[in-house]
Amino acid sequence: MIEVQKLTLTYPSGKGVFELDFTIREGEVVGYLGPNGAGKTTTIRALLGFMHPDSGSCKIRGLDCRENAPEIQRFLGYIPGEISFPDKMRGDEYLRFIHDMRGGGNGGFGSRQQELIDMFELDPRGKINKFSKGMKQKLGIVAAFMHNPQVLILDEPTSGLDPLMQNRFVELIRREKSEGKTILMSSHSFEEVEKTCDDVLIIREGRIIHKAAAAELQSSRQRKYVLRSIDRALLAKSLTEAKFTLNAGDDVDSIEVMVPGDAVDKFLKTISAYNIYDLGQRSQTLEELFMRFYQKGGQN
Amino acid sequence: MSTALFKHSFKKNWLLLLIFFAVLTMYITIMIAMFDPDDMEAITSMLELFPADLMTAMGFSQFITDLTSYLASWLYGLLMQSMPMVYCIILGNRLVAKKVDNGSFASYLSTPVSRTRIIVTQGLYALISVIALFAAVFGVGVATSELLLPGLLDMDMFLQLNITTMLVSMSVMMICFFFSCLFNDSSLSTGFGAGLPIVFLLANMLGGTSKDLEVLKKFSLFGWYDPIELVRGDMDWTINLIYIALVIVLFIASVLIFRRRQLPI
Repeated sequence: MIEVQKLTLTYPSGKGVFELDFTIREGEVVGYLGPNGAGKTTTIRALLGFMHPDSGSCKIRGLDCRENAPEIQRFLGYIPGEISFPDKMRGDEYLRFIHDMRGGGNGGFGSRQQELIDMFELDPRGKINKFSKGMKQKLGIVAAFMHNPQVLILDEPTSGLDPLMQNRFVELIRREKSEGKTILMSSHSFEEVEKTCDDVLIIREGRIIHKAAAAELQSSRQRKYVLRSIDRALLAKSLTEAKFTLNAGDDVDSIEVMVPGDAVDKFLKTISAYNIYDLGQRSQTLEELFMRFYQKGGQN
Repeated sequence: MSTALFKHSFKKNWLLLLIFFAVLTMYITIMIAMFDPDDMEAITSMLELFPADLMTAMGFSQFITDLTSYLASWLYGLLMQSMPMVYCIILGNRLVAKKVDNGSFASYLSTPVSRTRIIVTQGLYALISVIALFAAVFGVGVATSELLLPGLLDMDMFLQLNITTMLVSMSVMMICFFFSCLFNDSSLSTGFGAGLPIVFLLANMLGGTSKDLEVLKKFSLFGWYDPIELVRGDMDWTINLIYIALVIVLFIASVLIFRRRQLPI
C-alpha cells in the first residue's frame, strides 16, 4: 500500500532522512514517532510529492508519490504538521473550496462533512485568521477526512487539540481503522499512538531505529511512580534492597521509582509498611523511551 | 486550468484590481478633463520653464496638440506603465511565492489538481486581470472623452496605445510571476520581482533625459517603443510580437521550473 524503499532526502543543512525502508499494508494503522527534527515531516513531504528524493522511492498503491501525486490525492487525506490556510477565508468557504478542487459536485459534500463538524464541535463560520490553533486543527481534520479517503497521512494531527478533542480524534481513527483505511500518523504523544496504532516506527536523526508492534512497545514500557513519605530514608533503603531503580525526586521528600510491568505487586507490598502521604504515577516520556531504544540500537 | 482555483484567486484578488482601476480611472478622467485644445500652447510654453531633461525623463516629450498624443505623453509615458507595474509586483508575489512561504500552498496540493494546472491557472488569472484592467481603463478613457470632448479622441490609435502598454504590463506581470514560481521565500520573490521592473523603469526614465543616455532605453522593456510615435502611427508593430513572445516564454519557464521544485511546505 505505502512502500518506502531506500528513501534518502537531504536538505542543504545536511539534515534529512537516510535510506528509509518501510511498508504499510492495506488496512494498517502505523504510528510514526520521533523527536523534533528527526525527519518525520520530511518523510511525509516525500510521500505527498512536495519534495522528490535524492535517491530511493516511495509509492502509494503502486503510484510514484512525486510523478503521480494528483492521482494519489484522489484517495488520500492529509493533515499538515504546520497547518496554514489561504488568507481572509471563512472556514465553511475553505471546506467548499477544497471540495470544489477535488472535483466538486454535490455528491458526498454535506453529510459526512457535517458529521465531522459535529464530532469536533467546530463552528466553521467566521474568518480562519481569527480561529484559535485548536479550531484551525479541527478545520484541517475535517478537510482531510471529508472526502472519505482510503489512505490517510497525518502529521501530528492532534497538536493544539484539548484532551477531550484528542479523545474524539482517537475515536475517529478507530472508526476509520474498522472501515479498513490505511493510516500513517506521526505523533509526539505515545499514548495516542498506543491507543490507535497497530505498529510503530521510531525515527531518530533521519533513520528508523525501531519497528515494533504497538503492543510490544506498551509492555516494554516501565511505570514510574513518585512517592512522598515522612520515612523517606527508610523507604528508599527498602526499595533499593528490593532491587528497584530509584531516582531523586523533584523535592527533598519525594522519590521516583521505576517499576517493571511484572513487579507492581512486589512494589506495593514493599511500600505498604511505610507512612506514605502521596503516590502518583508518571508516564514515561517519549524522550525516555527514545533513549532506551537508542541505547539498545547502539548495543546491537 | 482549474475553474475552482480560478474563482478562488478572483475572490482573493479582485479588490486589489479594483483599487488600481479606481486610481487609474481618477488619473485618466482628470487628465482628459484638463485637456483644452486652446490651452495646449500655453501648457507647452509652461513646460518649457522646467528643465527639458526632467520633462523628457517623465515622458512629457515633444510638442503636443491633440488629445490622443496628450494622453500618450502625459499618461501612457509613465503612469500607465508604473501603476500597473506595482499591481503586477503585488499580485505576482501573492499568487505563488507567498502561499509557498506561509505553507497554505499545501492545501492546494492536497487535492487532485496538479502543480502544472495550479501554476497555469494562477498565471492565466494574472494575465487576464491585466487585460481586464486595461480594457476597463480604455473604456473609461473613451467614455470620458466622448462625454467631455466629443470627437477629439482618435479611437483607433488610442486602442493601439492601450494594447501595446497592456502587453508591456503583461510582460512585467510574467517577470514577477516567474520569480514568484522560482523562490520559496516571499522576500526573495518580491525582491527580484519588484527589483527588475523598477530597474527597467528607471533605465527608461534615465534614457529619456539625454541623447547620450538614450541607449539605456534599449535595455528596458518599457523603452522599446515611444508612445507618441505609436499614436502617430509610426511604430513598428513587430514590437508587440516581441512582448507577446516574452510573455509566452516566461509563462512556460514558470510552469517548468515550478513543476521540478522542492517545496518545503
